[in-house]
Parts: sequence; structure tokens; C-alpha cells
Amino acid sequence: MINMFFHNLKYTFKIIFKSKSLIFWTFAFPIILGTMFSFAFSDIEKKEQFEIIDIAVVNNPLKENEIWNTFLKELSKENENQILNIQYTDLKQATEWLEQEKISGILNLDSEEVLIVKKNGINETILKFAMEEMKQTETLLKTIIESPEEKQMLFQQNRNKLFENIEKIRQETTNSIKDISTNNMSYTMIEYYTLIAMTCLYGGLLGMIALQKDLANMGSVGKRSSISPTTKKTMILSSMVASYIIQIIGISLLFFYTIFILQVDYGNHFFLVILLTIIGCLTGLALGIFLASALKASENTKTGILLAVTMFGCFLSGMMGITMKYVVDKNIPFLNQINPANLITDGFYALYYYDTTERFYKNVVSLILITILLIGTSIIFLRRQTYDNL
Amino acid sequence: MKKIIEIEHLTKEYKEKKAIDDLSFNVYEGEILGLLGPNGSGKSTTINCILSLLNFQKGSIQIFGQEMTPSSYEIKKEIGVVFQEVAVFEELTVYENIDYFCGLYIKNKEQRKQLIEDAIQLVGLEQYKKFYPKQLSGGLLRRLNIACGIAHKPKLIFFDEPTVAVDPQSRNNILSGIETLRKNGATIIYTTHYMEEVEIICDRVMILDHGKIIASGTISELKKLTQIEEKVTVEILGLLEKEINKMKELQNVIDVNYQNGLLIITYKKGENNLPKLMEYFKKNKINYQKIYSERPTLNDVFLELTGKELRD
Repeated sequence: MINMFFHNLKYTFKIIFKSKSLIFWTFAFPIILGTMFSFAFSDIEKKEQFEIIDIAVVNNPLKENEIWNTFLKELSKENENQILNIQYTDLKQATEWLEQEKISGILNLDSEEVLIVKKNGINETILKFAMEEMKQTETLLKTIIESPEEKQMLFQQNRNKLFENIEKIRQETTNSIKDISTNNMSYTMIEYYTLIAMTCLYGGLLGMIALQKDLANMGSVGKRSSISPTTKKTMILSSMVASYIIQIIGISLLFFYTIFILQVDYGNHFFLVILLTIIGCLTGLALGIFLASALKASENTKTGILLAVTMFGCFLSGMMGITMKYVVDKNIPFLNQINPANLITDGFYALYYYDTTERFYKNVVSLILITILLIGTSIIFLRRQTYDNL
Repeated sequence: MKKIIEIEHLTKEYKEKKAIDDLSFNVYEGEILGLLGPNGSGKSTTINCILSLLNFQKGSIQIFGQEMTPSSYEIKKEIGVVFQEVAVFEELTVYENIDYFCGLYIKNKEQRKQLIEDAIQLVGLEQYKKFYPKQLSGGLLRRLNIACGIAHKPKLIFFDEPTVAVDPQSRNNILSGIETLRKNGATIIYTTHYMEEVEIICDRVMILDHGKIIASGTISELKKLTQIEEKVTVEILGLLEKEINKMKELQNVIDVNYQNGLLIITYKKGENNLPKLMEYFKKNKINYQKIYSERPTLNDVFLELTGKELRD
């Protein structure tokens, strides 16, 4: 069967590489889109250099929450690292200012919803990032302070050291927020992340087309392959291996192009970026196999469905604007938790924004589970040897 | 004679409709069996069931003396199929297409190379090896379709309407190729809409309608099933109703049909009908242009048995 495996592998390569539409969608389209992003967003970014963000803080946290207050003080200190311009007021006044768009957000520690924003823009996004960082730091510091030894050392006996820690965290927070508006870490990186996600998932097209030639209910070529003495398992496995290899070649080209031509910086965790991409490609392949095996429709219909599902997934994960990602995260978080495009995008995002890899691996695990689910379901359909009708 | 295929009580139902209704027949070694039937009569369904592509509710199928199942890979090695639809890859050349499908049966590259050359020669595609399917005419594409199905030199070959929409040259090429395959020892099941093809190449014919065999036998055996022994066709203008009715009373006449200047008279006995008819025309001063006599064809048998034309 080894011979048959390599025979089918060789011809699957040939068939895919000679298919203009497949090559366009999986190789050329992501590169074209990447180029368009580069032209479109580099200009926008220049216009959207970081500005100091006006916010209102209600119920002055100085009285109740020293940690938050310290943070806010540091972030609003008038120097080159200043991020926030804070005005302390009551909720009514703050709401009025927000309505008049005099401020970008309201910080209210008495409310469950600590941050209130009116719209979704770059300032609001930065505010959200900043608040998330503060919350994390608050939890960290609370833990330190609750420990008697740390309390003794860091807070009561060595207050300066505590401030050193705060300063360090502040620096990190400030840097990561400031980075949002630099070329090193721009919010348009999300666009590139979704582009990679899209390319990974478009790889499903390769798997889908390759699989169609092996299944009797998918057309005359599939019928001819099915009556041959080569086992279905061998055919499908070799077709999928060929598709996956081509998918990896395609995504490598995209990386090469974005890194060396468009000068995109994917950060310091490049091996994890590669790991996530490899898994993402596998998820894309699994999606293609699932659609090919589960749906009884024409090749064009299935291709359309795969493209639509992928594009919609990318849209929800921020391809056409980062705002959408946060809207979905906030209102329908489950949707993004099962959206492979978002899991890939969010994985990259987590690598960039967080020092820990917890969120990254959470996305990786979710992707693996979705892949297993798709392949498992596909196997049920693919195990069919005979059909009710053809 | 050795049985290559044995089918007993094969029944295939789609919801409440029986596509194949208790079908039993054998196919013998070295014969070409013609499967005839109008659209929806169950020909392709029968072939797909034999090939284990379709499941069925009742019955058994044996090929080469063994039960045929989807995992009967040893049996599959000896089977070739030429489907009604052209089943080739647009992205591969003529040679590559044949190599791909042949390679699913034959591991050895050298052996395969020879087999591909033989197949290309058989269907007359020597000049088109490097052509892509898009560059081929309909007839040449059909020939490629055949080459892909038979390159591995199978012992049992299914041809499902291989000559649909092909030019006469390709049709002759295909039919002579099938004859060659039989001479080389293959057993063939051939379905078609074209009666003349069946009459040329088939040893035995089975007529299917509504999933049932309504007649089976050699061509001469089938022709005996019809009452008609002779059919006389006359090109004649302005024939009157009373003249047509008078002709119906002539000796041995079964039926008289007159449409668009063409008079067709069918006789139950086939001796001296033509001279007698010419004499009748002369006597009654009826002028005609052309007149000719034919023996009944399979089409007449088919029409009489099923009540419809084969191409309906």
C-alpha cells in the first residue's frame, strides 16, 4: 500500500498545484490581502499616533483602593510616558462628558462594569487593555500583600521596594500600551493575525478538493477511485498529507512575504507562532475534510461554504476591524471560543500581549479539540463504504 | 461456460420506488452482454450495485465465484469501469490521467508504462499524450475516459454508455477497441441507447424496464419475440385515408402508418410482401418515390416490449 500511498500523494500534489483557483485562494489571495493591509493600515497608523486619553474617574479610588490609585497616578503623570488625563468627578457629570465625547471612558470602581465606554475606537481599545493590565496587577499585588512575609517586606517595612514593583509593572503596562501605536506592536497586527488564520482555514479547500477525488458520492472521479483496489484509507490519508504539505508551503510563503517584504514583526515567540500556525493549518484541513464528507453538495457549493465560513470567522475575530473581536468577546464570548479563526488570532494576540503563555495554550488546546471533533465526525461519514444513492 | 458474474434476486429500493426489482442473471466468461433500457430502467443502478458502490436491500452478487463487497480488493483488481460521465482530471495530461488511474491497480512502474502505451494505442490517442482534457474534442475525451478505465487490463469491464455524444470516427474506434478487449479475453457488460451498437458487438442482450428484465437472449432470439417479420417503408405524397384503410386489408399486414409523407407497413410474415405491394400501387395508380424493405430491428423489439422508444 506504500506504493499506492506515494502514487496518490504525487498526483494530489500535481492536481492541486495545477488548479488555478486553489492556488489563488490558498497562496495568492492571502499575499494580496496582506499587501492591501500594509498599504491601508500603515497610513492609518501614522494618522493614529498615540494621544493622551481623557477619562473620568468616579468615586475617587484614592480613598478606597490604593493599588488602582497608584496606577492611575503613574499613568497620568505628566511626562513623556503619560497615557491618561484623568478628571475625578461624579457619575452624572462623567456620563454627560462621555455623551459629549469629551472623554473616552469612565472608570468606576464601585460598578461591576469598571470601565464604561461609548464607542469602540483606538482610545477605547487602549483603555480596555490598560484596565485589564491593572486588574491583573491588582490581583498580583493583593496576593503579595496578603502574604505576611511579603506584607512585611514589600509594604510595611520596605515601601520603596513595593513602589519599585509597581514602577516595574507600570513600565510594562505603559510599554505594552504604548506599543499599540508603534510599528513593533500595532493594532493592525490583529489584521495580520486574522490573515494567517484565514490562510490556515483556507487550507481546508485543499483538503476538500483532494478528498472529493477519493469519494464515490462526490463525482465520477471519486467513483472510479472507489472501485479500485487501493483502500479508501490509503487514498484519503495520502490526499490529506499532500494537502497539508501544500498548506504549510503556502503559509510559509505568507510568513516569508510578510516578514521580509512587508516588514511585519511577529514578536519574540516565533516558535510558538509556528506551532500555532501548524495547528491552525490542521484545523483548516479538518474543516475541509468535514465539509467534503458531511455535505452532499456540488464542489462549488462546498467551496463557497468554506470560503464564507472562513471569512465570517475572520470578520468576527477582527479582520475588518478589531472592534468586532471585542464586541463578540463581550456579548457572545462562546462564539469566539468555538471560532477557529478567532482562536488562532487570539493565540497570536496572547503571545504578544501577555508575558505568560496561559491564554496562548488555552487557544491551542481549543483548536486541537475542535480539530479532533471535526476529524472524528468526518471519520463517521468517511467510513461509509456504500451509498444509498450516487 | 464459466460464470463471471452471478446475480440472484437483487433488489434495490429508494423509499417506495423499486429501482431494481428481484433481478437475477449471469454473465459468462468472454461474452459481451448488452444492457438495454430507457432512462431510469435500472441499468446504471444495477452496475453500481455490482460494483459495491450502492447498497441494496436484498439479493447476492458474486464475481469470479466470490461474494462482492466494498472491501473485495482482490476482485476489484480485475475490474475496469468506464462510466457514463467522463471521469478524468482537468489538471492532468492524457498520459498522466491514465497513469494515475492505472497506478491505483499496478504498482510496478515499468509494467504500468507498457500498459499505458497499450491503452493509448487501443483508443488511438497516440498523438494526444501531452494534451490536457480541455484541449480534446468530445470524442477524444470519451476515448481518454475509456483508456483510464481499462489500462490495467481487467478481466471484467463495465461500459456505461461510452459512446454518448461522440463523432462517428470515435464511435467506430471505441467499438473496435471493445471488440479487441473481448478478443484479448475480457468479459464485458455494455449499456447503451444505441441499438445498432448492440447489434454489432453484443453476444447477448438483456432488456430492462422498471428494474426488471423484460427480455433476454441473443439478438436473433430477441427478434423472434416480435410478431413483425418485415417492415416496408414508402415515400409517398398525398395518400388518402380510404387508401390507407384499404392497405390494412392486404395479406399479412399487421399495421399501416402514414405520417409526413412516409408510409410504414408492418407484416407478420416476410415473403414476397414487397413485390406484391408494388403491384398493388401499380394497379391502383398510386405514385411513390422510394420504397424499401427491412427486417425487424432490436428497436422494434424494444418498442413492442416496452411500449416506448429506447431514447425516451
